Amino acid sequence: MDCTTCNTVPARPDRPHTFFAHEQDSCPSCAAPIEARVVFRDGKVVHLLHCPACGPQERAISDDAAGYVRAFLARGVVPEGLVGDHLFKHTTSTCPGCLALVSAQVVIRKGQVFFLKDCAACGPSEALVSEDAGYYVKAYAFARAGTQPLAFRGTVEHGCPTDCGTCDDHEQHTCLPIVEVTDHCNLECPICIVDNQYSNHMAPDTFRKIVDGLVEAEGTCESLALSGGEPTSHPQILELLAIANRPEIGRVVLITNGIRLGKDREFARALKDLGVYVGLQLDGFTPEVHTAIRGRDLVAEKDAALATLAELDIPTQLIFVATRGVNDHQIGQVVELFLSGSHFLSLNFQPVAYTGHGGGTFAHDPNDRLTIPGVIRRIDEQTGGKVNYTDFFPLPCSHPQCVSLTYLLRLDDGTSIPFARFIDFEKYTTLLRSSATLPATPEVEDALADVIHDVFARQDEIERGPEILAALRRSLDEMFPRTPLAPRDAFRVSERQSKSIFLHHYMDRHDFDLERLRKCCHHYPQIDGRIMPACGFNMFHRGAAKGADTPRAKFVTSATRGGGAPFRLPVIA
Amino acid sequence: MGLCDGRVALVTGGSRGLGRAICLTLAREGARVAFNYLRADAEAAATLAALEAAGARASAHKVSVLDRAGLVELVKQLDRAHGAIDILVNNAGYGQVVPLALMEEDDWDQMIDTHVKGAFLTTQAVLRTMVRQKYGRVINVSSLAGVKMMQAPVHYATAKAALRGFTEALAKEVGRYGITVNAIAPGILDEGVSEHLPPARKDEYLRHCALRRVGSLAEAAEVVAFLASERASYMNGATVVIDGGV
Repeated sequence: MDCTTCNTVPARPDRPHTFFAHEQDSCPSCAAPIEARVVFRDGKVVHLLHCPACGPQERAISDDAAGYVRAFLARGVVPEGLVGDHLFKHTTSTCPGCLALVSAQVVIRKGQVFFLKDCAACGPSEALVSEDAGYYVKAYAFARAGTQPLAFRGTVEHGCPTDCGTCDDHEQHTCLPIVEVTDHCNLECPICIVDNQYSNHMAPDTFRKIVDGLVEAEGTCESLALSGGEPTSHPQILELLAIANRPEIGRVVLITNGIRLGKDREFARALKDLGVYVGLQLDGFTPEVHTAIRGRDLVAEKDAALATLAELDIPTQLIFVATRGVNDHQIGQVVELFLSGSHFLSLNFQPVAYTGHGGGTFAHDPNDRLTIPGVIRRIDEQTGGKVNYTDFFPLPCSHPQCVSLTYLLRLDDGTSIPFARFIDFEKYTTLLRSSATLPATPEVEDALADVIHDVFARQDEIERGPEILAALRRSLDEMFPRTPLAPRDAFRVSERQSKSIFLHHYMDRHDFDLERLRKCCHHYPQIDGRIMPACGFNMFHRGAAKGADTPRAKFVTSATRGGGAPFRLPVIA
Repeated sequence: MGLCDGRVALVTGGSRGLGRAICLTLAREGARVAFNYLRADAEAAATLAALEAAGARASAHKVSVLDRAGLVELVKQLDRAHGAIDILVNNAGYGQVVPLALMEEDDWDQMIDTHVKGAFLTTQAVLRTMVRQKYGRVINVSSLAGVKMMQAPVHYATAKAALRGFTEALAKEVGRYGITVNAIAPGILDEGVSEHLPPARKDEYLRHCALRRVGSLAEAAEVVAFLASERASYMNGATVVIDGGV
């Protein structure tokens, strides 16, 4: 029995099943066509359905979940000699014209994956969703059960995505909450994914209620990000950060373009004193790149921000929005920068999503864009294999198509080596299951013990084996010194032992995949208490999926398109 | 068919006393036996000859259990000559009769180093192959003096008690790789470290021993062979007392 004095935070329960994919099915009662959640429960395959007319239903599919996965993955093998598209599966996407939910065929074409859609109102459309079909198909093998929040914010009425907030059919808790604390900004980014109205700075009391609600729903949060707009333009931003700085929150991250950081040393010191982490947008290194992506030359301002972060040793995440033909040639450069500083803890690549005030109208070709495999390939090519294609694995915390990640261990000489060089992530999937950082859970500790012994046993065969062992030993010494560290200090020390590069592909009207949204774990907590999965919010609730003032979607599902009455989403006023 | 057919064993301090008895018993049970020793060349040669005379494939190696690099090299050598080590017996040690009042710092260090650090260094060198092959038997030679309160030199009792902790913690740590770690805790034996005990101390022991006799090296070695075998597959972290009932 747990000590009620030492451990008063209840643990989030695992989902009662492993969510795997969506498949076409029909309501067992009224035969209406519905998309089913394919889940694995006790080794069996079950379709979970929510019929708007008949309510929740389920259908047994198979007694052999492992066999089902094998057969599913085999569907991704293109028959030799096939000319044309190979159908892999179906899902629900959106019409890029009217944003209606439409059925999509997921097809493999010349080694890439495309969605083929046909909207009754707007006609057919296609969209590239992955530049590497092999990666895309194999990612499904990484599906793992999610956990659920202590309290859901909504119930299922119409089904995903109309009941967002999150409802009890959502397959993952909130791993990364992002609170948009202002809609003011000091830039007008051509790729902006939000829709700033320059009307509101969130009041501290409102923010406190959001954080309280988050803690109530989650118990503890590994991370809480403050975003905007540009959050440093909020006149009370330090007060908000102090409110977020509480024991239930592991780290508080300020997502910023860095302009204020570079010129306001007092502000930067205040962030340091508060123990805040900085997520710095850094999409390139040259005037033309900044101008294309952020609207003007920011080279000097980014350099100033980087210098401040280095000088004050502020733990930093770099965020690089990767855009084909604009800044994808500078991907290697940002990786090298990231590897060069011990205060850089993570590097987050985001293949651009064509949504929001700027992004929704940014010039693009939906059939020729960057996706996760394309960014990884550029990392490999532009770093000379220092970090290579096989170092990355889908992160099954969210849907495995959403995030790809590699951890890098800091060696004693200051260089880093990707964990994949000495860990078989397909064997130690526990290390990938939970989140983008390694939590000190018993199962992770267990897996790490195996990893240590494995490297110990194979040290002569592993690239830089003895150095890896020395680094692992140093990590233990620093994390568990003779005088024990306070929990937060221990957290800070432990996260400096390794770095992570992760790629997160937000969705837009072209590549939206309802299946991915189902397990989204990057959420926007709202003033009204709802906790909205990010891409669902951006697509359907923000009202800027195709640029400013996009009419919010009428939800016309495949079930209702034939005659049922469409209904509007309940959106924030 | 022997208890240890086809297995490869390394016995530390195998040139004489209990170490030699363990080598011979393991060889009789079908193991290929290698042992190391520190100084006793003649005794080592005699042990090796006895092993070979018994038809065993065996080898002797003059390497200290405190020579980390030498041990790593020894393990590589054995891997080439005999195959991966399946059985490790941490036996190297010695006795020294000296009261705490007269004990020098060097006495203490040498005793603790030989028994405890020696077991650590040897085990660490061997463990790599055991983890890799997901199989191993580690048997540590502790002592009744490390288990019960009895008249024994404090540094010796401390070292032997430490081996018990070493056994239990290591058993927990590497059990997941199919490696068992056990210890034996012999009482007074007729040869080996107890051989030159003062008569009064031996008499005191016999007064409390249910069997009214000291044990033999062979009796202790038989238990080691059992612990090294498949028959002891569910024994892990145990210390087996071999004392005739004290």
